[in-house]
Amino acid sequence: MPEPVLEVRNIHTYIGQFHILEGVSLSVPKGSITVLLGRNGAGKTTTLKSIMGITPPRVGEVIFDGQKLAGKASFNIAKLGIGYVPEHRAIFRDLTVAENLQIAERRKGDLAARQDFIFELFPDLKKLYKLAGGNLSGGQQQMLAIARALVPENRLLLIDEPSEGLAPVIIEALMNAIRRLSESATVLLVEQNFRMASRLADRYVIIDDGASVQSGMMADLVNDQATIQRYLGAA
Amino acid sequence: MTGIFSRDKRSSLIAIGVILIGLLLFSLLTTGNLNLIGTEGFGAYASTINAGDFSITLLSGLLRGMLLFLVASGLSIVFGLMDVLNFAQGGYFMIGAYIAYEVHHTPAIIAAVPDGNLRFLLGVLLAIAVGGALGAVLERGLLRPLYARPLFQLVITFGVSILLLEAVKLIWGVSPRSWSTVFGLNEGSFQLFGQQFSVYRLFVIAVGFALIIAVALLLQRTRIGIVIRAGVQDSQMVEALGINVRAVFTAVFTLGCALATLGGAVAAPFLGASLGLSTEFLLGAVAAVVLGGLGSYEGTAIASLLVGITQAVIAKFGVQYLNQPVWESLSPMILLALVLLLRPSGLFGKE
Amino acid sequence: MHIQKGFQWRAVGKNWLLIAAFILLIVFPFLVGVLTNTDPTARRGLSVYWQGIMIELLIYGILTMSYNILFGFTGVISFGHALFFGLAGYLMGAFQRAPELADGGLLIGILVALVVCAGIGLLIGVATLRLKGVYFAIFTLAIAEMVYIFLSRYEYTGSEDGFTLAALPEWFDPTRSRLTFYYIAAAIFVFTFILIRRLMESPTGAVLLAIRENENRARTIGFNTLTYKLMAIVLAGILAGVAGILFTLLNKKVGPEMLGTAYTVNPLLMTIIGGAGTLLGPAVGAMGLRLLELQLRNVQIPLGDVVLDIGRILPIILGAIFILVVIVFPYGIVGTFTRWRLNQRARHAERLAKQAEALKSVS
Repeated sequence: MPEPVLEVRNIHTYIGQFHILEGVSLSVPKGSITVLLGRNGAGKTTTLKSIMGITPPRVGEVIFDGQKLAGKASFNIAKLGIGYVPEHRAIFRDLTVAENLQIAERRKGDLAARQDFIFELFPDLKKLYKLAGGNLSGGQQQMLAIARALVPENRLLLIDEPSEGLAPVIIEALMNAIRRLSESATVLLVEQNFRMASRLADRYVIIDDGASVQSGMMADLVNDQATIQRYLGAA
Repeated sequence: MTGIFSRDKRSSLIAIGVILIGLLLFSLLTTGNLNLIGTEGFGAYASTINAGDFSITLLSGLLRGMLLFLVASGLSIVFGLMDVLNFAQGGYFMIGAYIAYEVHHTPAIIAAVPDGNLRFLLGVLLAIAVGGALGAVLERGLLRPLYARPLFQLVITFGVSILLLEAVKLIWGVSPRSWSTVFGLNEGSFQLFGQQFSVYRLFVIAVGFALIIAVALLLQRTRIGIVIRAGVQDSQMVEALGINVRAVFTAVFTLGCALATLGGAVAAPFLGASLGLSTEFLLGAVAAVVLGGLGSYEGTAIASLLVGITQAVIAKFGVQYLNQPVWESLSPMILLALVLLLRPSGLFGKE
Repeated sequence: MHIQKGFQWRAVGKNWLLIAAFILLIVFPFLVGVLTNTDPTARRGLSVYWQGIMIELLIYGILTMSYNILFGFTGVISFGHALFFGLAGYLMGAFQRAPELADGGLLIGILVALVVCAGIGLLIGVATLRLKGVYFAIFTLAIAEMVYIFLSRYEYTGSEDGFTLAALPEWFDPTRSRLTFYYIAAAIFVFTFILIRRLMESPTGAVLLAIRENENRARTIGFNTLTYKLMAIVLAGILAGVAGILFTLLNKKVGPEMLGTAYTVNPLLMTIIGGAGTLLGPAVGAMGLRLLELQLRNVQIPLGDVVLDIGRILPIILGAIFILVVIVFPYGIVGTFTRWRLNQRARHAERLAKQAEALKSVS
């Protein structure tokens, strides 16, 4: 197993008085696509937010590239080279596609350098460049949200439920894009759609009731009907 | 949002239509042919009004609208970005007026800088500096610890507005100051349909227009502008992109307060400096912010002018027909109450 | 067993404090009489002076308790509470001094004032409580300012001077029968406290607290939160009106300053310093702060050539205290004390539990 780019060690996260994560540990090997699986409300999104420092964990450690993230503000964590694509396609609706990409620049020229790659992945965005984000279709918005995370040189991408509410054809295109971008970055994915997850990911981590309960190679999980039934319901 | 008004052209048109209808009504009132009460009351006054009065009222309204914009723009952007309605914003306007007044009237400064125009510029710059500094202190020191407790944020901005009032009372006392020194810029006037209007006021209107456009360009064309507009929608996501949003909050808050003190400073030569400015301009500006739709810059700009002109019309109406100058002071509250009762989501609101 | 016994003792202790305060309130005039060696029933002297101070403190207490219903218990901010306080004074005064009504004017005035306070509270609430909280705050500020300008500019309300009341019946006159007036004020104060305590112990009070914590959730559970908020503002308006009426009677005059920001800021400040959302906090905060203010008003500190007049900079000092309290001491005096005691109690219980466990493992 290659060295991990991200290590999460037994984190506990509270939102208000609610104890949401009660011990999540995971390790994401460099260059892999790792998927977080689990039922609705199990704590997958909160795990991503805890890594990003949006809901900082109260207990435990997050280590990115050998660096501890505890106490770092969210924007400083992002600057280390982590791209975050939140659920519900949180693009800026009143900004144009161009502006949505420009804002993600960490250094001047980031966008110019990556533009060709982004348009190759998502040709639609080139045509829509001057349009307001709010006028895009759901799939286009999702592409924009992922493209936005590709503008700076991120070594790790956290992608939350990219397939949510999208048509199968578009999901297929997104999967291809994510596979392509995983050639240059490590991906940690949250995905409810098990079919998509099983075809895309190399590794999996199952989160149940706020705790990580099992992890391993995706290839092994696909044949393990008992685990699938137990933690994910009918597959 | 590529052009200034492209997001919601229809709403903008409605607003402009409302302005036009208002003006039409007002000009009808000023023709002298309207007689509602009889020759003793309304009609007798009406016949004394003319095109000169009309254009002066319009210019006064525009002037007030520009001043309101200087208070309201900061209020609106800060509210959109940080979800804080800064109740001290009117206080900053008031402080600006006192600073400009003091710099222009203190004997020691007059001796050092005899040139009136230069001294006025000095006062304005000092006002901007003090406003910006106080704004930064308020955001950094007092608001930042309270983002988890929004109720107390509101309370603290209100507390600061009271503190500013008390500080002014302590330094300058309670009686209003009216501008009594001369400077070249403030002296010229021109005739409009037989009525006098000072060149300086026209100059302030021009400065206001310039600032509306400058801030619009800042928001549309610069990186910080993009960050601000994005932050109005989702500041958490902006931060997750690697941008220090808290620093942007401070910058925006500072800029907003500096604009408000600038407003007070340029208004001092004709409004003087008084404690009443604080609440009057706070409420008028809030009326504009709500009317314009929370967090919408274009809406705020248009609504500021609309509120300013309406205030001037109400004031004129009060003096002319009711012989009650009090209406001028009441107009911000009346407008605010009307806006909240009739259209709390604003002219450009989506809900 | 141990824990329960300790707990009960504390419960008694808590009420014992209230009972002691109540008794102190009753014997206060006589206590002062003995301490200053003056007659509590006389028309002049130190006794009367201190009764006057105490009446003022009680009025501030009532006003602040009324504010706490909104800010502390329901989580609604009003920046125009002075409206109720001042308007009630004006209305009561206007009827009281109307010659056509003679002695009946006082009673009619009080009734009209309270009904109007309730009505205005209801109107403001209906107009803006559906909207975001900040609209309610700005709306109350605007309405209070509007009424303030009206009353201070128009001749028939006495412009900036206000007006004085007509002669009050002798038994009721705070100058001639101050002791009686003291007991009336004290009785109303105690009544207000008990009323709010009963309210907050009732299911209605629980709903108000739920609205403060999370209005959306309270609504989802199925409460019509608007109705509860309206009830809170009406009650707060009436009680602030009562305070305004007492204040007007005590001073025998009204003025526009009664609608000024001071009578909004002071209850806000006193609520937070005493402890927003606690029962005793507002009364403690109001009395403590007002007393401090009265003590500091005439203090002058010589600093070389200049004399530092504390009375002049008092508003700034209070403002600074206010900001400091909000940032570093948000639970106020009573709130902090309660939390500290709860903590102590929890620690005590933990210690006992550990001892019990230790004993169990030994045996």
